[in-house]
Amino acid sequence: MFLLTLRDLAHRWVRFVVVSVLGALVFALLFVMTGLVEQFNLEPADTVDAIGADGWLLPDGLSGPFTATATMSASTLDELQAAESSAVVAARTTIGGAVEEQEGVLLGVVPGQLGVPVVDEGRAIAASGEVMVDSSTGADVGDAVQLAGESFSVVGITTDTKLFAGLPLVTVSHDDSQRLAFGAGDVVSGAVVNGAVEAVPEGTQIVSADDVVAATLEPLEGAISSIDLVRALLWILAAIVIGAVVYLSALERQRDFAVLKAVGTPNRALLGSLAIQAVVVALVAVAVGAVIQLFLAPRFPLRVRLPASAYWQLPVLAIVVALVAGAVGMRKVASADPAAAFAGAGA
Amino acid sequence: MTVNGPLVVEQLTVEFIHDGYAIRPLDDMSFSVEPGEIAVLLGPSGSGKTTLLSCLGGILTPTSGSIRLGDIDVSSLPPGDLGEYRRTTVGFVFQAFNLIASLNARENVAMPMLLNGVARKDAFARADELLTDVGLAERAKHRPAMLSGGQQQRVAVARGLGQHPPLLLADEPTASLDHIQAEGIIRLLRKLRDAGRVIVVSTHDARLVPIADKIVKMVPDEEHGGTHVTGELSLAAGASVFEQGDRAEVVYTITSGEIAIVRVLADGGERELARLGPGRYFGELGPFLGFPRSASARAVTDVVLEAHPPTVFRERLLRPD
Repeated sequence: MFLLTLRDLAHRWVRFVVVSVLGALVFALLFVMTGLVEQFNLEPADTVDAIGADGWLLPDGLSGPFTATATMSASTLDELQAAESSAVVAARTTIGGAVEEQEGVLLGVVPGQLGVPVVDEGRAIAASGEVMVDSSTGADVGDAVQLAGESFSVVGITTDTKLFAGLPLVTVSHDDSQRLAFGAGDVVSGAVVNGAVEAVPEGTQIVSADDVVAATLEPLEGAISSIDLVRALLWILAAIVIGAVVYLSALERQRDFAVLKAVGTPNRALLGSLAIQAVVVALVAVAVGAVIQLFLAPRFPLRVRLPASAYWQLPVLAIVVALVAGAVGMRKVASADPAAAFAGAGA
Repeated sequence: MTVNGPLVVEQLTVEFIHDGYAIRPLDDMSFSVEPGEIAVLLGPSGSGKTTLLSCLGGILTPTSGSIRLGDIDVSSLPPGDLGEYRRTTVGFVFQAFNLIASLNARENVAMPMLLNGVARKDAFARADELLTDVGLAERAKHRPAMLSGGQQQRVAVARGLGQHPPLLLADEPTASLDHIQAEGIIRLLRKLRDAGRVIVVSTHDARLVPIADKIVKMVPDEEHGGTHVTGELSLAAGASVFEQGDRAEVVYTITSGEIAIVRVLADGGERELARLGPGRYFGELGPFLGFPRSASARAVTDVVLEAHPPTVFRERLLRPD
């Protein structure tokens, strides 16, 4: 069975190569799309994890600190009774100066307290005029960056601290953030809390870190759905490519199959041969696609974070798709009339 | 399956329904072939040779009649057993060689065995043995495209013998070959006959006749109907000139009266195709092409006809004066 399949693939190697390359491009895009969706899904969780709070104190009705702008008086936090807490400010900002001008998410925290993201390079902010930025901004420690027209010195770099499909988190001191975001000193977005919360101010609520993650994902649902749709279309395209080559092979080898049936070869052996061909084409295309995506992914403006499971899920799915797509060709084989073997040379 | 006995075909009939009417490529055919004999099915295209081979090979189930090969009642084997019968009892050699282009000669011979579960080592050992038998050991690694027609046909014969079949069916094995290549195949068939097989060869190639132990003519016998009387013929209204399926020997022209050409349908009914009067001719295609009558001709009124052999009819048609 394998011999028949492999010899046929070798015999029609040009078509095999063309289809494999075409399939590989489709699978490379599927790998990239899968990596993008994974990144979209994990991005807010990574950022919220880096901030390190169990929950967020926010005005009633707000699902997350990053998705809506609502403020409360800083003095409101006096009524908060929690094991650990600290005031925070969250807002949108623009970053410029030493880096290319771009939009970012501003986080204001009290230096040395809960809510300061984990630093990978340099140190955490300790005073006004200092900033920590996500590595995707391209800034280095020591650079001077502009936030809403004010100059800040980069003291620390954080990684995987982005929101809303790639907006970098920039962290400044609480005082600086109040000035940049609200132009006033008595206003905050809320607070981060850890441990038991015994009392919350009136008109506020505690939103868990998981709910903050979910709320931050909401604006991306449309984008994720669009990518999922593209992924579905790519799977259909892959199925068409594999199905077409298997069908063509079945069509061209109709006489071969008729002869083999005439000499008593059971249908299952012939169907198996064609199924192996579909699977070989699919697996070769997936393997080449996995290599192509290694070169393709770094060229995407967004991080492509391919989960390890994709390296076995995609091939397994590809095999299933190949077998389903190849079913049309296999039906052709099943219906091959052994009497056709008797037809003359021109038949 | 082991077979110790002759191939016996009795009253074999195959009927197809096409476009509402019945076609009988085989009608009440009987013959037998002993082991160690070659039977040559001789007849023109369309005379049912391939249909008969398909029945003998268990590919086609006859409408009626029986086929026995030794102890095996082939015609009553259930569909599930026909694959086993073809696999172990019948060797096929096809007119168009039908080798698989992507496989070399050795792999072509071994492939049916491999697909039928024979161990790889055994299948290739048998393929080597068979290719040596047909004189192609040195061409074992060549693909069909690199072999001559005669060599391809010898590979096809080797493939047909993979499982030591007691019955070998060859469909026009010399049709695509020149006389030198055909001679090689004929020599090979004689050698295979001497090994005690039943060999049935369909052909319209007269070169195969001398090696035949039995010749089965695939054209209908005279007693199957059809008049061969030439000259003037008078028939009363309602009489039949010829019936659908009769052997066709003569062409008719109508001197007087009216003739209806009718097709007999599968359900026993009839459909009139044409009604012809004086000066018209009918029944010309069968004699010229060697086909049986494709319709019946009936006298609608009292008729006077002139029956001509095809050669005479052609001359009259070309030179009416």
